[in-house]
Amino acid sequence: MTAASAYAQSNFNRFSDQLKELLCIPSISTLPAHRADVERAAAWIADDMRRIGFHTVEIIPTKWHPVVLGEWMGAGKDAPTVLVYGHYDVQPAEMADGWHTPPFEPTEKDGKIFARGAIDSKSNVMAQLKAAESLIATGTAPCNIKLLFEGDEETTSENMNTFVTAHRERLQADVVAICDGSMSDREQPDLAYGLRGVVCMELEVWGPKQDVHSGHYGGTVHNPIQALAEIITRLHNPDGSVAVPGFYDTVQPLSEEERAELKKALPWIETEWKDVAAAPQQWGESAYNLHERIGARPTLEINGIAGGFAQEGFKTVLPGRALAKISCRLVPDQTSVPIYEKLRDFIASITPPTVRSEFRLLETGEPAVIDRHGAAVQAASAALEMVWGKKPFFVREGGSIPVVVDLQRELKTDMVLLSFGYKGCAAHGPNEHVYLNIWERGIQTMIAFYHNIGAKTQA
Amino acid sequence: MTALQYADVQRGAFLDQLKDLVRIPSISTDPTRTGDMLRAAEWLAADMRRIGLSRVEIMPTAGHPVVYGEWLGAGANAPTVLIYGHYDVQPAVLADGWHSEPFDPVERDGKLYARGSSDDKGQVFAQVKAVESLLTEGRKPAVNLKFLIEGEEEIGSPNLGAFVAQHRDLLKADVCVVSDTGMKDMNQPSICYATRGLMYFELEVVGPSQDLHSGGFGGIVHNPAQVIAEMIAALHAPDGRITVPGFYDAVAELSATERETLRHSAPTEADWKAVSGVSGFWGEAGYELHERVGTRPTLEVNGIVSGFYGAGSKTVLPAKALAKLSCRLVPNQEPRAIFEQVKAYLLSIAPPTVHAEVRLIAEAYPAVMDLHSSAMQAATVAYERGWGRKPIFERGGGTLPILADFQRQLNNLPIILMGFGLSSDGAHGPNESYTIEMFHKGIATAICFYEELAK
Repeated sequence: MTAASAYAQSNFNRFSDQLKELLCIPSISTLPAHRADVERAAAWIADDMRRIGFHTVEIIPTKWHPVVLGEWMGAGKDAPTVLVYGHYDVQPAEMADGWHTPPFEPTEKDGKIFARGAIDSKSNVMAQLKAAESLIATGTAPCNIKLLFEGDEETTSENMNTFVTAHRERLQADVVAICDGSMSDREQPDLAYGLRGVVCMELEVWGPKQDVHSGHYGGTVHNPIQALAEIITRLHNPDGSVAVPGFYDTVQPLSEEERAELKKALPWIETEWKDVAAAPQQWGESAYNLHERIGARPTLEINGIAGGFAQEGFKTVLPGRALAKISCRLVPDQTSVPIYEKLRDFIASITPPTVRSEFRLLETGEPAVIDRHGAAVQAASAALEMVWGKKPFFVREGGSIPVVVDLQRELKTDMVLLSFGYKGCAAHGPNEHVYLNIWERGIQTMIAFYHNIGAKTQA
Repeated sequence: MTALQYADVQRGAFLDQLKDLVRIPSISTDPTRTGDMLRAAEWLAADMRRIGLSRVEIMPTAGHPVVYGEWLGAGANAPTVLIYGHYDVQPAVLADGWHSEPFDPVERDGKLYARGSSDDKGQVFAQVKAVESLLTEGRKPAVNLKFLIEGEEEIGSPNLGAFVAQHRDLLKADVCVVSDTGMKDMNQPSICYATRGLMYFELEVVGPSQDLHSGGFGGIVHNPAQVIAEMIAALHAPDGRITVPGFYDAVAELSATERETLRHSAPTEADWKAVSGVSGFWGEAGYELHERVGTRPTLEVNGIVSGFYGAGSKTVLPAKALAKLSCRLVPNQEPRAIFEQVKAYLLSIAPPTVHAEVRLIAEAYPAVMDLHSSAMQAATVAYERGWGRKPIFERGGGTLPILADFQRQLNNLPIILMGFGLSSDGAHGPNESYTIEMFHKGIATAICFYEELAK
């Protein structure tokens, strides 16, 4: 056992008391009324960084909530530098949502702490602070450490895009660890290395100049909802693949080696499908298993659709317009704008002359895949194996973490997604909690990760 | 002063009264408007008492009440007319695209803008004002008059059939007049002699047990919004025909004579485009525009909703999708039989990856009236007097659920659709309006009709 590891073990009770202190602050970034609380959380973290001995601690304002940046450069300029990203803001929470205990009064029960932010993501923030403290206090830190915590993750991290660009020099590091997200199992660790991109769009179809009487005009004008439905129908092939010409042109094929790796975590996704989705039957591209469809294949989804009268009762209206929200999940090497343009051109080509359509781009985020064989992922994998006693499974996530793309673009450095949450801990929901034993393993994993990074450079 | 002269003198007063009536938001489809519904019924009843009807009653039904009124002073040997209309209206809010508050009537360019101004308060009120003109100054018309004004037309008249059956004697009449339809051109009077039936239903598609993150589940769960779109798209063939097996089986084809009669009512394509605002027509191949509307059945999507559709974006994979649809029916289609056909077809095309449900919401039979009855002859003369021009005959695309009930319950009495609306009024849509001249011409024509009927 290393000195830092022993320090973490003997100070664990204090660490968990400190975690509870941070959890008491309702740093809800999505509600303007909590702005002062978000700032209070930032100040608490900055104070702890100073207590630990970080050389530079700064609360950096952004156009919305501040970023906390701490730098400890005591390992010397020849040692590697590790940049860790996390976030200290949380989702809203009220007793009325179904909490059994007040969401901002952390309650310990059965080896868990219940509080908003317990799993998403203050336990991750505290694991980073306490791993750094253990290394610095014992004089055994083999790397320089930069901790970057934002306060706007729950409001889509929009600030980070410009922040990362503006502070590129200060954020320079040899290894970047993204510490937000969750694992799928309490005993079997996993490492995510792929995130899909997303492009959000909307399609509007107009028919008559306004809503008209379906008796007077029905049968002579093309109903915009019907026309929209006819267009949407042509976006998929019967086999579940996307029918837009050129959609798959730049999709990287999966290697057999990667497919074998992804297969390990397949039972998790099948279980989650049964527990959470619980639809009558599975659906999708039949040539790929569920893990591959979620993580390594692009999709086209209808996120919403509206037109005419759809409330209780009835109204015999022939609507003047109809709207659909459409988004695609993207995988390397697809990029958002060209995919939007392919859809736009295809939809224009299949819109019948009896209606008008417009297809608009709303939001974009690019896909990211991290090199599984890179030094950062390997160091994390070894650390997880040491602490958990099991090699981690590698997974590709279906969702997006925009900051990963921002950091990849600006820093062009070795990266790893390293998080110590567990999916079953009700992130964003009532009675969010963290398992104390998993959290402790997280601190130990982080200490081992720093040692592995340091050892690799010395070797 | 004759009745016609009286009506002319009272033009301003009649219009002001109509404005008071349309101010009441009597939306029968909205359960929170029960109080306004009663208020509209009471307002009408008060006006009917004031004009000299001998008996006026607000009569309960299982839903919204009926306003009944009668004047039987012409005696037992004189013909009796039953006048039907409705005081309920469709929903309307400013956000639907109205230029002024829907329940705050505004006069602009000779039109009165308000929900219900044309459908049907303006039209039924024209009948009340025609009767007022016939009754005032001690006049005694030569026909007996009964009013039946209901409050549930816009929800498919669910209780009117039972009401008519229960009050068969009270409603006994020799002819029925219904003022709830429109003509295309203010300068060319027309008599509508047929209405389509209705079968209104909803389709619900349920996929996953809850709304899902589209990143976490997109690509492995069949999206209900996509499925409902695919099912809706499968309901029509590229030639505009409905694909439901058996859908057209009971449709009575038009005779060559009737086709010829109807040709006079054909709109010009330019007019149709101007009114509807579409760039190109759509519909069943082999039939002209007016035939598609009046003589052919249709299937429309009236509304659809699923997932997120506000400003911006939300990457949700919705758990379910709902569509409201309806078929307009023509003789001899039966609403129930059509529902069963549509339901069976939709369930047969629903993929096994989702759960689909089809629910019947409302039904009404189509109706066709005899073009050769003596009442129809009287109406023809009345229109000619009121407008100074012979009417043309047409079949309407809308639905009047009560026509079939009246025919069944009241000895198959002749029914005259004496509509004083215009098809450009925007009934059911935003900025519904009523051309004020139509209101006054309607009053005059109704007066002439009751005079002709007595001859």
